[in-house]
Amino acid sequence: MRHLPSSLKIPFPERAGAALKDASLQEALTNATTKFIGLRKDAFASLPQGDLLRDRARAIKEATLERLDYYLEMLADNVERLGGRVHWAATGEEARDIILQLCGDRGVKTVVKSKSMATEEIELNEALEHAGVTPVETDLGEYIIQLAREKPSHIIVPAIHKTKGQVAVLFSHALKGRFAADPEVLTAVARKELRQKFLQADMGITGANFAVAETGTIVLVTNEGNGRMVTSLPRIHVALMGIEKVIPSMTDLVVFLAILARSATGQKLSVYTTLVRGPRQHGELEGPEEFHLVLMGSGRSNQISGELREALYCLRCGACLNVCPVYRQIGGHAYGYTYPGPIGILLTAMLNGDHAVKDLAHASSLCGACHEVCPVRIDIPRMLIELRQRLDRERIAPLAERGVFRVFGRVLASPTLFRLSATLGRMAQRPFVREGRLGSLPLVFGKWTKTRDLPPVASRTFSERWKELR
Amino acid sequence: MATRADFLSRIRKEVRRTPGLFPASTAIPPDRPSEAAAAIRRQMSERWPEALERFKQEFERVSGVFHRVTHIEEVPGVIQALAREKDARELITWEPGELGLDLRPHLEPQGLSVTVAPSDAQDGARLSYREAAARAQIGVTGADFVLAETGTLILISGSGRPRSTSLLPETHITIFGKERMLETLEQVGVVLEDLHVDPTGTMSGAVINFITGPSRTADIELTLTRGVHGPKEVHAIFVESL
Amino acid sequence: MAAPVRASLFVTCLVDLFYPEVGVAIVRLLRRLGVTVDFPASQTCCGLPLFNSGYHGEAARVARRTLPLFAASEYVVVPSGSCAWMVKKEYPGLFDDEPALRKEAEALASRTYELSQFLVKILGLSRVTTNFRGKVTYHDSCHLLRGLGEAQSPRTLLKNLEGVELLELPGADECCGFGGSFSVRLPDVSTSILGKKIANIEKTGAECLVACDAGCLMQMGGGLSRKGSAVRALHLAQVLAGTDGI
Repeated sequence: MRHLPSSLKIPFPERAGAALKDASLQEALTNATTKFIGLRKDAFASLPQGDLLRDRARAIKEATLERLDYYLEMLADNVERLGGRVHWAATGEEARDIILQLCGDRGVKTVVKSKSMATEEIELNEALEHAGVTPVETDLGEYIIQLAREKPSHIIVPAIHKTKGQVAVLFSHALKGRFAADPEVLTAVARKELRQKFLQADMGITGANFAVAETGTIVLVTNEGNGRMVTSLPRIHVALMGIEKVIPSMTDLVVFLAILARSATGQKLSVYTTLVRGPRQHGELEGPEEFHLVLMGSGRSNQISGELREALYCLRCGACLNVCPVYRQIGGHAYGYTYPGPIGILLTAMLNGDHAVKDLAHASSLCGACHEVCPVRIDIPRMLIELRQRLDRERIAPLAERGVFRVFGRVLASPTLFRLSATLGRMAQRPFVREGRLGSLPLVFGKWTKTRDLPPVASRTFSERWKELR
Repeated sequence: MATRADFLSRIRKEVRRTPGLFPASTAIPPDRPSEAAAAIRRQMSERWPEALERFKQEFERVSGVFHRVTHIEEVPGVIQALAREKDARELITWEPGELGLDLRPHLEPQGLSVTVAPSDAQDGARLSYREAAARAQIGVTGADFVLAETGTLILISGSGRPRSTSLLPETHITIFGKERMLETLEQVGVVLEDLHVDPTGTMSGAVINFITGPSRTADIELTLTRGVHGPKEVHAIFVESL
Repeated sequence: MAAPVRASLFVTCLVDLFYPEVGVAIVRLLRRLGVTVDFPASQTCCGLPLFNSGYHGEAARVARRTLPLFAASEYVVVPSGSCAWMVKKEYPGLFDDEPALRKEAEALASRTYELSQFLVKILGLSRVTTNFRGKVTYHDSCHLLRGLGEAQSPRTLLKNLEGVELLELPGADECCGFGGSFSVRLPDVSTSILGKKIANIEKTGAECLVACDAGCLMQMGGGLSRKGSAVRALHLAQVLAGTDGI
């Protein structure tokens, strides 16, 4: 199968172009996004208090940020009271080191992982492999892309770009068998294969959808059961969590539970919502002996007082991806970073800096569909415009472009220059007008006319015609 | 590596630097959770029939299989029939005190092997239960709460109620009575607050599992399949006499 | 009888330069409805293209000179959802540091309406008479729909036209791919999005596509025309004014 370029060495427009030409990706994207849009719509149609809950969820996230240090401290105290250990990672690198250190200290050879975008951010799997530890992804979609050595292309369904035929070939190679291109068969293969890994692994690594400060609880929202396996069978459980995931209380938690699964997949609740309070308790037969919570500040702390603060509300539901006209055309890999889609652009700026979004900040028509579906009402378009402003201010946007917009600004601010540009336009376009349309133009205008006609500048503008209308 | 003090002081500094985006408050937990939870119990002692009906609808919507019996004595018969249907030989169950029923005397004579969870947590017991759980085709548990709004079973782990009972076998069967019924997620929030007022008093385990139907995925071409890692089937037996 | 309503036309740069016939249609339509229309001279643009690309200093300069042009207007009518949105939602914020101008901007914002909003919400119309006939389908432009919350007014007006059949467009609320400079920064993606929109338009069997935004019409009209489609792309004003608006 042809591997789509997600390498950052290839410029974004080219990566996007390659995605547009990939017929099977296009089909997968159309099917998946259309389906999710419908599921989400139905799920909220049957939830009359949906809008109110979204307002409340947004308020909880904002109020928590306003006292983030207080809640993180409460969370840590409670986790420790339960016999867990809390580690503080200011950067992604520190988070990786902490986890590797634990593996080394505890003689960990195999790790089973439940789906965690945070671990993707810090490229944990590569680091573990380098250190001689075998990480096994257990979420079916993540397992598939791990075998394919690819990155996820969607936050919720990471292997959406793969056909069942491709998965069958992948499994057949990796597991030395011959498997039919049938999702039931392939699921059964994964169940059997991964069951062994769950039972034998030394350590389970998860993310956390939420962490309840008042009780020291980590909350995992999953569908397959791997989240439960990974936190019950191995002797050590490590949860890696961005600091923005903390919420104050159980009362807050149920507000989010009411809307998270509906936003992501249209389910009322995911199959498993797992509340984990530290390692196994004294009288418990099963469960890890050790629980470690790694709190990650990387990229997030800066944004608390920054322009992208609202992006910290994100629940990682993927709803914005499904409605984004750009994502729906190019898929996740073309974005090139851990998080794709509208929220992905903001998260990439947060985690990788403004240079990383030099092109991505413009990968949006600002249509606002993302803002409309976000369960916590993040105003993504507003922040994309902020990012674009920063690219100008920080001179990351190309000099030529900034020059053009300066001139453009002058023209639009001056009626004389505006009229003049109409006159010049009329003159310049003369050789190109055919049947009252402009079909082919040079320079940047050619980017339009390659695929679309353009109306010519009118022989008399409205302003010029006003005299007769007065 | 950052120390806790450095880390938190950095955050504190950032937090102080801004007034925030808009006036906002967190959700308000009940003043007196135990009283609020008691009020819910009183309410549900009247409303349980409606709640049960709603639960059945939602549970079936997520492919759960609902059963109803009058008396707890009928339960082994239901389980035996299921075992026969699935050609199951081995079962694991919560410790009989936790389950409210000892299935061994009913099912072992039928040639089924029933491993009950030990009440102590010694290493030997741990290992043998693990092996039984990995072999068993059916796991039988109770439920601490049953949520009508979403068709969800809520199970608290702990002594005599190991997590794998509802996780490893292909079929999970839950036995419950009217006292477990809750209607809304909001009520669940109150109940959770109440449980955590004195968690060591109310819970002997570290995990609370919300289970809404069988394990599933749509990761391959968005085609729904069940029983990825967790059970392929979930059955709920409502016992009127409980 | 009440004094006639006075409206100032903020014609927008795209209509002024490329679709003056839309401006003419609005003037004729409003006059037919008894509205006194004026056109403040030396207007240019609302500044949105600059704002969206992050050039806020430049956008503010354009906004600053636009404010006095409409200071005396009772109502400002705009044939574009995105431009109306710019004035109503973003102008005040451009003057956060200048309280006097901010107040002026807020005042202007409160008096500014996109055309269909003005007809339905201010003039209280649901029915207009026109000699336009045919099957039409309507596209919701993003800023009008999501920015200004307006899905009904254009549909109300179109539905109640005699001899006009309004066919619902599948994915009417999906972006057409214009997005201003997006259309030339990422032309392939923009075209791909447009392709989907055009397929939906053709599926309806309508003879005419109607929208309330010149940018969208430029994108969709440009795609339809390149394809040699018989479907015409018209502004709502042209449909409502009929041939009277030519």
